[in-house]
Amino acid sequence: MLSWSSTESGSPADIGAVVHGVGDAGVPFGSEIIAFAEAIGGFDDVALAAARDRITTAAGEAFMIDTAAVVANFEMMTRVADGTGARFPSEAAARRVELDARLDIGGFTSAR
Amino acid sequence: MSGGAVNGVVRADLAGAHEQSLAHVARPGSRLTASRRVQIAQVVRDAYLATDPSPPWVRPYGDPALDVAYRVARHAGTITEQWYEQIIGEGMHPLEWVEIIGIVVATVPPVAFARGIGAALPALPAPVDGAPHGREAAELAPATLNWVPVAAPADARASVVQALSALPDEWHNLWQLAAAQYMSDAQMADPLWNRGTLSRPQMELAAGRISSIRECFF
Repeated sequence: MLSWSSTESGSPADIGAVVHGVGDAGVPFGSEIIAFAEAIGGFDDVALAAARDRITTAAGEAFMIDTAAVVANFEMMTRVADGTGARFPSEAAARRVELDARLDIGGFTSAR
Repeated sequence: MSGGAVNGVVRADLAGAHEQSLAHVARPGSRLTASRRVQIAQVVRDAYLATDPSPPWVRPYGDPALDVAYRVARHAGTITEQWYEQIIGEGMHPLEWVEIIGIVVATVPPVAFARGIGAALPALPAPVDGAPHGREAAELAPATLNWVPVAAPADARASVVQALSALPDEWHNLWQLAAAQYMSDAQMADPLWNRGTLSRPQMELAAGRISSIRECFF
């Protein structure tokens, strides 16, 4: 979705940042988004407060709130997918081979 | 800012979606009483927030429903079809499994969001009296795109869309949350749709990074 939406918006993103959590993916406030998502996904409240302050200072409180909402949504969707054994149809899986390799996700237990 | 906590106002639709989701947990479900649902939700909340969680292969409660809730809430990326079949083989009905996933879905986002923005963590509502209502899809079918049974016809929609379709109340709660937190199905088809604060690539970057951290292949 990142690759598709960024290409359509005229600035293809570096999806390696999704995998490695470094850089900004070529997206405005990308490094702040990555750090905030990682902090919500982690369990260090001090690091979370710092990441929250950083993204709020850079992009504003409404931006921080909407980023947290998106992260919360994917804390939900990952559990829907993994809890129900969701998988791609074979034709879609075939189309994803190159992308999966770039994302280095073939080794995930949830790959099925 | 006070200690990094949010001072501003959360969008009304988003706050409402989270309130509605927690109220949904506290009502009788298809197969579970409200008190059982709230008990499961408490396990979900504790598992999600635990700083020293049990490893994935441990079943800390000796109660299949609570153990499933715990693992999905905290170690979802480790769940295999073999483990699902093991739990079903122990006697859990597949639709009870689906209902438990629905409770995880209903509980995690309000907690994750509140913690993220530095707000007080939401309390779980008191359970509402009443027996399980038994509502399920008019016709169920085995799916090839999910382990769990889904509303017929199976595999006519994407696997994450049909995932909870066997239990319409859980399905509706999932998608009312998604519409407020992210976007609706219809909006998803437009790669440039955004809420006005985040561009679509910014939304997808946040989505992609947390999914990668959770080791979710999908």
